[in-house]
Amino acid sequence: MSRIHGSVEAFKIAIAALRANTARGVLTTLGIIIGIVAVVTTMTAANGLANNFRESVSVLGTDVLYVSRVPWVIQGRFFQFRNRPNLELKDCDELARLLGSSVVVNPTDDTRRPVKYLSEVIENATIIGTTDKHMLVSSAVPEYGRFLTAYDVRFKRPVCVLGTTMREQLFGDVDPINKNIKIGRAEFRVIGVMEKQGSAGFFGGPDFDSQVFVPVTSFVKEFGSRNRSFAFAVKAPRGTDVTDFEYELAGEMRKIRRLAPGEEDNFAINKMDSLLDAFNNVMGVVLMIGVAVTGISLFVGGVGVMNIMFVSVTERTREIGIRKAIGAKRRAILQQFLLESSMICLVGGAIGVALSFAVAEAIDRFVLPASVSLPIVFIALTVSVVVGVISGFIPAWRASRLHPIDALHYE
Amino acid sequence: MTLELRSVEKIYDMNSVAVHALRGVSFKIARNEYVAIMGPSGSGKSTLMNIIGCLDVPTSGTYLLDGADVGSFNEDRLAEIRNEKIGFVFQTFNLLARSDVFHNVELPLIYAGMRPAKRRQLAEEAIARVGLADRMTHRPNELSGGQRQRVAIARSLVNNPSILLADEPTGNLDSKTGAEIMEVFDTLHSEGNTIILVTHEDHIARHAQREIRIFDGLIESDIVQSEAA
Repeated sequence: MSRIHGSVEAFKIAIAALRANTARGVLTTLGIIIGIVAVVTTMTAANGLANNFRESVSVLGTDVLYVSRVPWVIQGRFFQFRNRPNLELKDCDELARLLGSSVVVNPTDDTRRPVKYLSEVIENATIIGTTDKHMLVSSAVPEYGRFLTAYDVRFKRPVCVLGTTMREQLFGDVDPINKNIKIGRAEFRVIGVMEKQGSAGFFGGPDFDSQVFVPVTSFVKEFGSRNRSFAFAVKAPRGTDVTDFEYELAGEMRKIRRLAPGEEDNFAINKMDSLLDAFNNVMGVVLMIGVAVTGISLFVGGVGVMNIMFVSVTERTREIGIRKAIGAKRRAILQQFLLESSMICLVGGAIGVALSFAVAEAIDRFVLPASVSLPIVFIALTVSVVVGVISGFIPAWRASRLHPIDALHYE
Repeated sequence: MTLELRSVEKIYDMNSVAVHALRGVSFKIARNEYVAIMGPSGSGKSTLMNIIGCLDVPTSGTYLLDGADVGSFNEDRLAEIRNEKIGFVFQTFNLLARSDVFHNVELPLIYAGMRPAKRRQLAEEAIARVGLADRMTHRPNELSGGQRQRVAIARSLVNNPSILLADEPTGNLDSKTGAEIMEVFDTLHSEGNTIILVTHEDHIARHAQREIRIFDGLIESDIVQSEAA
């Protein structure tokens, strides 16, 4: 009972003490505010990146496996993959034949070429050679116009489908359908525009909205087939276990590659999961470093609070003496100063969180989708209080240990 | 018996030189006594006051307050005893400058862990007793010296202590105000309180019924005066 009243009173005392020194309190809080803004922004940005990445990678689909010459995520040395033979279009046909008609196999490759419409030029656009089956192995859908057809592929037609960003940049408000654009030196006719997909471009990953899709046959014809290795997107048939299917796929690939038993695979099978795993690993490290670095500013803020609390205790030595003389126990004094320092930090934390919302808003508008989540707010406020308690502890402890007579006679 | 000292000694260690502030002091003070402790500076009077007020403990000897051997208590127990049994009035008032009259008077009750409603009632009563009911929300710097000392007296009374311990209570006041404050003490005594005045002024000491003179760490004289005051 008395402890509850004591806490309420200590709370009032702390508020009174803060009011008495508003200007100093604000300056002290500044360190905490900056620290909290830094930490919250880092966490929010990391969160935004992760969500953004997951969202855009999910375009790939969990039931789609990607056969490629070199794995997406390279562990170990790169050169061990260097002498692997390329994956060619005829390999793709053979794989499709071996796997049977229930399995969708789609060959793709990409290259970089300047894309031009009238005077608008986009240097280094990503050109994807693919087939009509692209729509079956990804969640990509044309927004208007149409996607590539088997007919386009078979007859190497010079047609293309634009990602939504490409359309914006090349055509603005003009209807792109049936307009001719130049990809490298070749002319292609625009037949469709894809829906917005979101981008993992921030990590150097694919930006699905900045791609141009052309028939894989036209792709080979215009951009060459020499030293070109395709990736095969293979969609597991409905109802099969993806892991089982991966073994089957590997087996068929080994046949195509004519690998003897015991020989190592000279191709790679990639999944969205492996990309996500790699991403999460990197993100975890980035987040740790980010929080550690921003944590330093919070630490500096905490040191500032500790400093002010030492000043506060010294200034109020006499007050401490009076309080002790009329019956304040050590714990009461300790509590009083701990509460004061945690409230300074909590106020700073709250202001910091409020500012972080503004910063997150700016990031959201200009860099990538990001928003301050409730758990982050909770963590930030908890951390503020913890910083307050830690940085207030030594001064408060010192205050509580003062001898009443010495404190009373302090000038 | 309210308090009893038995051959109390206090030795301070000042830069490894032992200073004997008290060298065997014994006396008893009964309920409702009005005692002046006198002595020049350096006599050990302040040390004696600190021990009686439970701000310090004797190096040797026994101090019994309401029958409890206070000398063996740790700091937190001493704080409790001060809170329950001692009412301090200091020469320099020692009020909390940033708090109003009410909060200053209420403070001992907060540390006693009393409920707010009860606190308010007791604090208002104590403030009324020293005639400052209309100054409840004033801060110390808005009050005269005499009024401040009245606030301090109200604070010392509010927890209904066994002894009121006043250390040169008129030392910072002009003689007229000082006389008014002494009247307050006289009244409190007539109402049954035990009062110990620490002073070096004879005319203040004359208000008391008993005069204990300290010199060089020892009791020089302990005289019960006639009812002259």
